[in-house]
Amino acid sequence: MTAIWFIFALMTGLAVLALLWPMSRRPALAAAVPEGEARIATETGFYRDQLREIDRDAARGLLAEPEAEAARAEAARRLLRASREPGRPAGAFGEPALRRRRAASAFALSTVPLVALLIYGLYGSPDLPAQPQAERLAHARAAGNDLAAAVTQIEAHLAKAPEDGRGWTVLAPVYLRLGRVEDAIKAYENSLRILGDDPGRLADYGEALVAAGDGVVSSKARDAFERALKQDSKAVKPQFYLARAAEQDGNRGEARTRYAAMAAAAPPEAPWLPMVRDSLARLDGTAPAAAPATGPAIGEEQRGMIRGMVEGLAQRLAEKGGTPEEWARLVRSFMVLGERPKAEAALAQARTALGGDAGRLAPVEEVARETGLGEAAGAKAAP
Amino acid sequence: MTRRRRRSVLILVCGVVLAAALGLVLSAMRDTIVFFRSPTEVASQKVAPGTRFRLGGLVEAGSLKREADGKVAFSVTDTGSTVAVRYRGLLPDLFREGQGVVTEGVLEPDGTFRADTVLAKHDETYMPREVADALKAQGRWQEGGAAAQGQPGQGQPGPVSRTAVK
Amino acid sequence: MDLNAYRKVALVLIEVGHYALALALALSLTQMVMPVWASRAGDPVLRGVAVPAALATFACIAFAFAALTYAHVTSDFSVQNVVENSHSMKPLIYKISGVWGNHEGSMMLWVLILALFGAVVALARNAVPPTLRANTLGVQAAITAVFLLFILTTSNPFARLNPAPMEGRDLNPLLQDPGLAIHPPLLYLGYVGFSITFAFAIAALIEGRIDAAWARAVRPWTLAAWCFLTVGIAMGSYWAYYELGWGGWWFWDPVENASLMPWLAGTALVHSTVVMEKRDALKVWTVLLAILTFSLSLLGTFLVRSGVLTSVHTFATDPARGTFILGILVLFIGGSLALYAWRAPTLRQGGLFAPISREGALVMNNLFLSAACATVLVGTLYPLALESLTGEKISVGPPFFNLTFLPLAVPLLLVVPFGQTLSWKRGDLAAASQRLFVGFALALAVTLIAIAVTWGGPVGAPLGIGLGAYLILGAALEIVTRAKGKTLSLSLRRAAGLPRSAWGTALAHAGVGVTVIGIAAQAWSVESLATLPRGGELRAGPYVAVLEGVLPRTGPNYTETVAHLTIREGGDPVGVLQPGKRFYASRNMSVSEAGLLTVGASQVYASVGETGADGSVGIRLYYKPLVLLIWLGAVVMALGGGLSLTDRRFRVGAPALKPAARDAAGPVPPHSVPAE
Repeated sequence: MTAIWFIFALMTGLAVLALLWPMSRRPALAAAVPEGEARIATETGFYRDQLREIDRDAARGLLAEPEAEAARAEAARRLLRASREPGRPAGAFGEPALRRRRAASAFALSTVPLVALLIYGLYGSPDLPAQPQAERLAHARAAGNDLAAAVTQIEAHLAKAPEDGRGWTVLAPVYLRLGRVEDAIKAYENSLRILGDDPGRLADYGEALVAAGDGVVSSKARDAFERALKQDSKAVKPQFYLARAAEQDGNRGEARTRYAAMAAAAPPEAPWLPMVRDSLARLDGTAPAAAPATGPAIGEEQRGMIRGMVEGLAQRLAEKGGTPEEWARLVRSFMVLGERPKAEAALAQARTALGGDAGRLAPVEEVARETGLGEAAGAKAAP
Repeated sequence: MTRRRRRSVLILVCGVVLAAALGLVLSAMRDTIVFFRSPTEVASQKVAPGTRFRLGGLVEAGSLKREADGKVAFSVTDTGSTVAVRYRGLLPDLFREGQGVVTEGVLEPDGTFRADTVLAKHDETYMPREVADALKAQGRWQEGGAAAQGQPGQGQPGPVSRTAVK
Repeated sequence: MDLNAYRKVALVLIEVGHYALALALALSLTQMVMPVWASRAGDPVLRGVAVPAALATFACIAFAFAALTYAHVTSDFSVQNVVENSHSMKPLIYKISGVWGNHEGSMMLWVLILALFGAVVALARNAVPPTLRANTLGVQAAITAVFLLFILTTSNPFARLNPAPMEGRDLNPLLQDPGLAIHPPLLYLGYVGFSITFAFAIAALIEGRIDAAWARAVRPWTLAAWCFLTVGIAMGSYWAYYELGWGGWWFWDPVENASLMPWLAGTALVHSTVVMEKRDALKVWTVLLAILTFSLSLLGTFLVRSGVLTSVHTFATDPARGTFILGILVLFIGGSLALYAWRAPTLRQGGLFAPISREGALVMNNLFLSAACATVLVGTLYPLALESLTGEKISVGPPFFNLTFLPLAVPLLLVVPFGQTLSWKRGDLAAASQRLFVGFALALAVTLIAIAVTWGGPVGAPLGIGLGAYLILGAALEIVTRAKGKTLSLSLRRAAGLPRSAWGTALAHAGVGVTVIGIAAQAWSVESLATLPRGGELRAGPYVAVLEGVLPRTGPNYTETVAHLTIREGGDPVGVLQPGKRFYASRNMSVSEAGLLTVGASQVYASVGETGADGSVGIRLYYKPLVLLIWLGAVVMALGGGLSLTDRRFRVGAPALKPAARDAAGPVPPHSVPAE
């Protein structure tokens, strides 16, 4: 972006030249005019010109004769007065005038660049290129980061057809994953308004509300879960969050009943079962650590989406490497998806990629320990 | 006429016109000025029924009722006090429950406010200035709170009733 | 240039625009200092610097403005101003008008027009005496510099965001309207046009000399600014009429008053410069009026921009900006008035006149206009003053303005035809009345007919119609009297030979009459309101609206609910109205779109309220007789002003027109006029 400074220099140069131009040109012109006066630059010249103009206009019949006469008289009067006025044109010549012009040139040469650069330096961002929307979209697509582009496309589609409930349904979880929680809530609200209540959507909506409240189950979210449960009494997510709401309200009895019912009705291989058991244990005061606040069950659609994103991350990290935090996120994501072997592989990769630097590995190891992956994988890696 | 007399005539005429303008302004000031009151002021100051004033506050959520032939009833609150308002006419585009409103009209003897104007003029944050001030006086206003309504994804979430106990 | 090079330039365009703005500030600082210094020293060469400086300043600001427009058109969301006021889905015209539909952009438009006027003055080398021109350019540059500093430091439209968000927040839907696309530029051409008059006045005070030549140099600028302001205000009024859905055409809203005050003062100024030019009188007053007019323009900017007032027009709510603008106001208004107090006594007084004379009538005009302007000022600022002093909140509404403004406007209008008829210096009231007698009689007849036709209706309306007719007839009589010859053909030839300024005056005064008729007729407008089921009927005046159905419609960035109404008069369908309510999802905001059916100069007006669950819909229906005359009159006034501008007398000393331009008959569009 150094080119921009050349452009600035060029502009400044042109501006200063424009200012200096009359001063450089004038002496030649003054020499050409015998009276030594630039014709229009003085009062007398101006009125003399005006008189000529009136004559021309009168000759062409543009001015009626009486009007022309009056105008002539007036201009002549002013010409007389202007030529009588003392001292006025004296400033145009001689040593003081030259000195003055030199001072003026110096003033223009110094002030203009100084002020312009100072102001621009304070407020400008010369390193930031323009980013027209069309180009950004094209760029995003080319770079393979098509999620944002896809979102923008869906948004564009929805702006044209805002009553497309399915569009909102697709968009909402993506928003949530992008961290645009408020937008996700709006999208869920739109999809619910257009397509009507549906236990799955209601539960997802409630989850988004919980996410917006940093894990707190608000009355609005609770309402959504209750409506979902009314339609599908076996739905897992609403049961879990209602239990959690009761827990947050301090209503341990109810929370316990709900968790227990879930645990009792759960198929033994249910991925969320450990979390429910943890909660029960916590309520009973036997659990060592608080459970993470993530939701227990993930819908199929969402699962596919997340898997796609996680695979993308894995691929990028494998090819280009990444920050310790990104590796940590990858490991955690695989664990959340219930893919332990992949998580282990990622952990091993991270250990190689980060070069055994204990300080940088710390966040990854932290996750490994949290998810119970650390010892086993570490033990495996040790021999 | 001499120069001086012409001058004095001119000055006299100017004086008369300006005095007339001043008189008009003063007399109009007395009769046409409308005061702004918040519901709390209405409740505490006992505004006399029949006085014309502007009532501003938030439209209480759930209070809007539509009746036959275009009559509407709603309540205006500043979270301290609430005044019931009746109005006949179409409500402005920006009228919404839970948002700011300014109405102009007369207080009935029974304590309801009969509005003949519901103001549609808001700035882009949907909060009339007077209402914002009145709410600030009530301590119910957070700077930026109103702006957040116009800008999804920003600012603090609204007054969601939370059932949280940590 | 190949595509790649083009893209490289486009990449830095925004920052180059930003730099151009900074450079413009530097240039205008130079332009502020040099010519005044040169005039003091009497150095014509140094004085010449003002011309390239003014041109270069304009070029820089125009470039910066173009760069900002480019950012808006390409939806460059790395520019904060674009994020806050644009949306990639917005139609192109609103992407462009969105540039000035916000605080920062509108200030850019302000300085762009300021610099444009400066450049035009710089080029008008044969119309304005050189010393006056140099000093005027210096003052003009001072205004430009201060406003550029304001923009760059407190309202920078080139502020950038990194990383850029993917989508913008869209322009306030109320402003997404063709009317609002052109209303601010017109209004600003008016406001800023008065800056030239102001600069001329300050230059005259600095020089300590003022005469008829000054008045002649100033008049075209004043007149041009006044024309733009007239059309701009009319445009804004019409926008409020159809966009706010209330059928009102003037609300005495502070923002409207902010544009009306400079208009009133400017109207007075247009008239007082006539006196000064012809009779060398009222000099001191005219200079004061020039200062006041621009001060009111600045005040208008301040009232709208600072967020002191709250209304649909107020986009800015930043107190830091308010403080800066307050500083600007104190600097320019206070400074110029102080200069005036110091220098005005040295100005030579001239021209005597009798109270009954054209000068006298024009003094009356100035007196009433100034008094009316003062009452509007009091009504607009009193609530602010009271609130800051006592904390008591009041509103000064239409009743106040109707009670104060009308009693001052009516005598003024009564004097108008007399002013045209009386001769300069010493007039004969009896002779003038005699000449106007036909006008009186016809206007009285019109009034009586109006009363008879609308018997039992409001009393004021026929009187207003009569007043309007009196103004139009008075203007027509003026032309007739001046052109009357022995034969019809001679009269026509003489009428054609009348100076364009005479025609312009008559046209402008007739325009006032047209507007007055339009306003008076609003007393007969009818409003009705109902919640209609499908097939339901609603009557307003002679018209009945039948609800055919309610349909959804989709626009580029909104969804709309449209009511289809058939309008019948005496059983016969005369047209269809489709008022709607638009919902803009990006701002979560709905906006009414009125349905308008024009019958002659009258309109049937419908707007939509809430839609019920059963398909019924609230409809507000108005019958607005002769309502279009209000704005038509304003356009006629501006045309009159434009016609006056083409008068040859203004150009004595100006270069000759090209033959083609000279032969072009009819009024010249105002925008092409002040270019010489």
